[in-house]
Amino acid sequence: MFGRIALFELRYQLRNPVFWAALVIFFLLTFGATVSEDIMIGSGGNVHVNAPVAIIETQLVLTLFYMFVTTAFVANVVVRDDDSGFGPIVRSTRVTKFAYLIGRFTGAAGAALLAFLVVPAAILLGSMMPWIDPETVGPNTLAWYVQGYALYAVPSVFLLCALFFAVATMTRSMLYSYVGVVGFLVVYLVYGVLVAAEPDYREIAALTDPLGFGAFSYETRYWTAAEANSQMPALTGIILANRGLALLLGLAGLAIAYWRFTFADRGISVRKARRLARKARKLAATQPRTVAALPATRPESAAFARLLMTTRFEIRQVVQSPAFIVLLALGLFNSIAALAFGGDFYGTAPIPATFALIPVLEGSFTLFALIIAIYYGGEVVWRDRDRKFHEVIDATSLPGWAFMIPKTIAVALVLVATLVVSVLGAVAVQAANGYFNFEFGKYLAWYLAPTAADLVLVAVLSVFVQALSPSKYLGWGIMTLYLVAAITLTSIGFDHPMILYGRTGFSPVSDMNGVAVGGALGWWMRLYWGGFALLLAVLAQLMRRRGTETRLAPRIRQLPRRAASGAGALGLVGLLTAGATGAFLYNEMNVENEYASRDDGEARLAEYERKYLQYETLRQPSITDVTLALDIFPAERRLEAKGSYAMVNDTGVPLEMLIVRLPDRETELLEVEVPGAALQSDDGEFQFRIYRFETPLAPGEKARLTFATRRWHKALSTTGYGTRLVENGTFLNNSEFAPIIGMNRQGLLADRATRRRYGLEPELRPARLEDNNARERNYLADTDWVMSDITISTAADQVPVAPGMKVSDEVRGKRRIARFRSGAPILAFFSVQSAAYDIAAREVQEFGEDGLRLEVYHDPQHPYNVERMLDAMEVSLGYYAANFGPYQFDHARIVEFPGYAQFAQAFAGTMPWSEKMGFLANFADPGEIDYVTYIAAHEMAHQYWAHQLISADQQGGTLLVETLAQYSALMVMKELHGEDQMRRFLKYELDNYLSSRGSEAIEELPLERVENQGYIHYRKGSVVMYLLQDRLGEQRVNAMLAGLLDRYRFKSQPYASASDLVAGFHSLARNEEESDLVRDLLQKITIYDLKAAEAVVRELDDGRFETVLTVEATKYHAEGKGRETEAPLEDRIEIGLFTERPGSGAFDRENVIAMERRPIRSGRQVLRILSDRRPAWAGIDPYNKYVDRDSDDNLVEPG
Amino acid sequence: MLELSSVSHVYPDGTRALDNVTLSIPKGMYGLLGPNGAGKSTLMRTVATLQSPSSGSITFDGLDVLAKPEELRKRLGYLPQDFGVYPRVSAYDMLDHMAVLKGIAGRAERRDTVETLLAQVNLWDVRKKAIAGFSGGMRQRFGIAQALIGNPELIIVDEPTAGLDPEERNRFLNLLAEIGENVVVILSTHIVEDVADLCPRMAVLVNGAIRLEGAPSDLIEKARGTIWAKTVERGELPAYRKMYEVISTRLFAGRTIIHIMSPTDPGDGFEQAPGGLEDVYFSTLAAGRREATARQAA
Repeated sequence: MFGRIALFELRYQLRNPVFWAALVIFFLLTFGATVSEDIMIGSGGNVHVNAPVAIIETQLVLTLFYMFVTTAFVANVVVRDDDSGFGPIVRSTRVTKFAYLIGRFTGAAGAALLAFLVVPAAILLGSMMPWIDPETVGPNTLAWYVQGYALYAVPSVFLLCALFFAVATMTRSMLYSYVGVVGFLVVYLVYGVLVAAEPDYREIAALTDPLGFGAFSYETRYWTAAEANSQMPALTGIILANRGLALLLGLAGLAIAYWRFTFADRGISVRKARRLARKARKLAATQPRTVAALPATRPESAAFARLLMTTRFEIRQVVQSPAFIVLLALGLFNSIAALAFGGDFYGTAPIPATFALIPVLEGSFTLFALIIAIYYGGEVVWRDRDRKFHEVIDATSLPGWAFMIPKTIAVALVLVATLVVSVLGAVAVQAANGYFNFEFGKYLAWYLAPTAADLVLVAVLSVFVQALSPSKYLGWGIMTLYLVAAITLTSIGFDHPMILYGRTGFSPVSDMNGVAVGGALGWWMRLYWGGFALLLAVLAQLMRRRGTETRLAPRIRQLPRRAASGAGALGLVGLLTAGATGAFLYNEMNVENEYASRDDGEARLAEYERKYLQYETLRQPSITDVTLALDIFPAERRLEAKGSYAMVNDTGVPLEMLIVRLPDRETELLEVEVPGAALQSDDGEFQFRIYRFETPLAPGEKARLTFATRRWHKALSTTGYGTRLVENGTFLNNSEFAPIIGMNRQGLLADRATRRRYGLEPELRPARLEDNNARERNYLADTDWVMSDITISTAADQVPVAPGMKVSDEVRGKRRIARFRSGAPILAFFSVQSAAYDIAAREVQEFGEDGLRLEVYHDPQHPYNVERMLDAMEVSLGYYAANFGPYQFDHARIVEFPGYAQFAQAFAGTMPWSEKMGFLANFADPGEIDYVTYIAAHEMAHQYWAHQLISADQQGGTLLVETLAQYSALMVMKELHGEDQMRRFLKYELDNYLSSRGSEAIEELPLERVENQGYIHYRKGSVVMYLLQDRLGEQRVNAMLAGLLDRYRFKSQPYASASDLVAGFHSLARNEEESDLVRDLLQKITIYDLKAAEAVVRELDDGRFETVLTVEATKYHAEGKGRETEAPLEDRIEIGLFTERPGSGAFDRENVIAMERRPIRSGRQVLRILSDRRPAWAGIDPYNKYVDRDSDDNLVEPG
Repeated sequence: MLELSSVSHVYPDGTRALDNVTLSIPKGMYGLLGPNGAGKSTLMRTVATLQSPSSGSITFDGLDVLAKPEELRKRLGYLPQDFGVYPRVSAYDMLDHMAVLKGIAGRAERRDTVETLLAQVNLWDVRKKAIAGFSGGMRQRFGIAQALIGNPELIIVDEPTAGLDPEERNRFLNLLAEIGENVVVILSTHIVEDVADLCPRMAVLVNGAIRLEGAPSDLIEKARGTIWAKTVERGELPAYRKMYEVISTRLFAGRTIIHIMSPTDPGDGFEQAPGGLEDVYFSTLAAGRREATARQAA
């Protein structure tokens, strides 16, 4: 009996549309995440998309989403019989409660588990797609899929099924079951935030997270890519216990359901009975208004009423259906999670400004709206037939248009309403974060209107497909293919917006520049596809099914006859609209602009490299002076540049050739003059010119070059008008408008898989550290130290910014013209900007005779952190000037740019900074990491490390620039917050380094050989430098660094090498121990594992306390791929006693009882520390100064 | 009023559902009697403009139905044999919706229509309940209510009484009888009493062809004196089937009453039966079967 009921239930669920909808949605999500970089779940980097860890992670994440589906399955079991009125019949049979309830549950849970199989299947299928980068895919091992599904998905899905089965049994209502889901989610997430965030509870959190996330990430948190790609976490310890717990909890849920379930109808409550009776009385009291003769029909005048009423009827049918509520809830959950937890830097959330939330909404909500469009396209078209009501309706005098048009409008309106709900979700997130500046106009213009239009396009297509399709399921299948195409076509190179119905191009949102980049393109594309949509709608209407004729062929035969009507004319209008718009757009994109598909672009770059990389080491004269006249016309998106370079042959040998090139294809190289040189070759395709000096340029001899260029985005390209030269917020660097002397690697193909595809070496690695020839060039594209004189004009309502002292600034007519001249040499790599800025300025007198002017150029809407930036600039320059040497300019400027990219960058005296980063950081909670100050200090440090000393183009180049900037910033933070607060920064950097190691694509290198690897030169560099200054003395380190600066300030070849810094540190080492440390930290990859095992405190007779601390210590050396070998540890490491836990918000100096270095060797050892106060915490390396594999076990509470 | 001439319909799979049907249907109730699969529903759908016949013509009150189906639809009320309902929609709302679909735009007019009809079909008390929860009879009454919206001149009711209990069936037929005076009502059914009780004219459709057409009373009169009955044991039935053409059998008190048709007294203990419409119908069916057998043999 039990088995038969379970099987019956399973078969029933397999016919349920929820099953198929779940199958499709979860397939698309997983497949999309596997094959496309736009959709992301979990890992990335060097972890294969089908690595065991990725297989598990994807399933864990999707289990969370799956909650909404399992509930539909199991709640249906409980609610169904009551809804259908079939309950009493079933319950009066001889079936036992156990067989009935648990049998059905088994069937429903079986269906849920079956549907979830699509997730591993989609990973497997996705990993086999031909266009995926083969380097991101590992071998497929079936056992990983089986284990991942069986150990992680099955217990969690079972648990969720059982849990919500219990809830449904108790509430007997679908709606309340969903309320239960939301409640569970809230509790689950809050629990996660509260408990898992507390390092002490990490183990407990890992164990008790019922969905397995905690246990899994606990076990794998420091896995390298090699480990993640090759092994599953062992089913022991916490994972085993956790999975067992999930099953137990599930069984408990079932037991509750069994206990609470009764066959008998629970009587309704007295209050409900009274309410029902009142309603019945009221109904009975009303008499019908009857007439002797029924009113006659007047179909001619009923058109509007028909449209209105049928639309309303369809809408009601959609919004009242359970699937709609499930989809909406899923979409909202996904987007609210993304909105609430996205956009952090250093764990600090941004102020939820509308423009920053919109892309998050687009990424997290629209997929669900699309699924609603597709699902209900099928439902509305087939509803009458599915309900067997079509004969009644088809026999009425309803005209043909009234079939398809109201259905299409209904789906469209439902979608708009759905989007409105998502906006309300976003507004709720804003309010929850204390942000009450609700900009509904922006929501409307930047999100609602365009996205709604896009969705309506899909809805029309969906209705059209269903109108023609012989069955609803086939129609859904076709639309699913369309969705898959939309996800994958771009990744296989078909990226032109005009080739896939409904694509509307690229339209990034910025507070500064609105949607000026792609807004117009989007609406043109919508008009273009709208024309097609009109045609499709007419065709759907003309080929609709009426009566019993369901075959397509006869309907197509009738088409010409039916088309000779008003509808046909409308279709023609659609076709003409699409044709005319298409012609216009094609002209803009492919004729006025040059269109290159991604493949074309890559092929061209490969060609460029093959042809010209040979000139990389060709010696070229250095530029000494740059004079520029730049005229920016923001409204036209046009820049006219004229300029000249003064050059000198500083190579020591005569030079015959001069390479002048402008690789940026958006800018036209109009003219170049090199007096005394003749044009030898001119490759117009690549704007690559070679000049030959009539007599070779002798060493020390000077030369001149003048040029003119133009950059003008006058027509729409496939990516709008581009993001660099824009209406408000232009941000261009000189390589985007001025020619480059000589060849370098900037802008060449970087992706390994792509490079291999074009037959290039998989990677262009820098010269080795030992290669002294490389010191002829610097790592910043070998740009020279120059003096600059830049005159820049823009629209009168904008502020132009260029590097240098502002010599003049005036408004002449409609133009604002400013002239900037450098007071000290700058690297010939600089930016110019123009926007309607507000300027916050501060004069600081201490620096130099002329004083120093600090400025923040910001959008008037973003004043939040401007003062903080000024403070940060002042404080950091104070530290740097005192420790490293004089600051070279009389100004320092932070200049905001539109959030089309998220970074801050340091040019000479000028620091462009994205509106999406520090300008929006939310420091309402003083406990947040102040990354704005941190980043400002870092960028200011680049005024020394880059803009005074620039390193050679070889391994370790970024050590002297990025690592030293990180070090300088850390010292500023230490000065601001004190040594005892530094653990938070260090720990952030350390965790980031450890978890990024797994994503390394080539090989991890020691710091002195770092090859522009961010996780090494920023993250590891911070931790290492902090320890070095701690051990060797901050003053001594700074003095050594100042010496380095003196040696290399504004110097050209030979450029500074990482070896110089390493030698500097070795010179500071006072003994073998310190030399070893320098070697371990800078010249090797060294990982420590320091652990406080236990501590015992005893009060001594003299009232003091003795703490007996047992620690374990290990040191490993790692090679590039992550393989580790243990090395003997022999070092002096800090031991500390505290009254509070270091790193917690309350921790400060007065909580430190003792802090001293003790000799530590490999293995377990016991240390005794005497103190005056009783410690609450004891530990080794308590401030996380070492690169410690597990930095959370360094402290222990004495037992 | 409604004229069908030489209407034939062949389905794509070769099934000949209608075979040269010619009928002239006047105002009033018209019964279309036939066994399951005789082509009744095809005929009804064809008249209701839901499908076009392969050949033939149909006119209603001079209107060429096949050329201008939309004109007929304005004057048509149709209750299909089998129809479902939308979930979560009450009788009142659904009827209101149907009134709009049929072209009653005004709010007041719709209210008059809906409330009058609900009262007429006796669903007023349950007007706020979802139709999905209705019993079969209530559902059919709702079906006729929607068919009556806007005073149609042609009402087609396909197998409305199948599956109804006797009380519901009576109530439903009474409803039909009330309206069937000034308009054409075609009632298709396989239940003889439906026709006998209600219809002044009728036709019998067998295998897509009209076998009999006329007023039930005339047809009964024609058959008078040709129907003979005998009560036999159940075991004897096969023997009688061999000897006579048995047109119907009926159980009564454990034994079987058989009817045969014969212009003269067959003797053998048969007694003349009064002969009702049922006998006429069954004899027509028997004749149809005979022909079919003959065709197969040939």
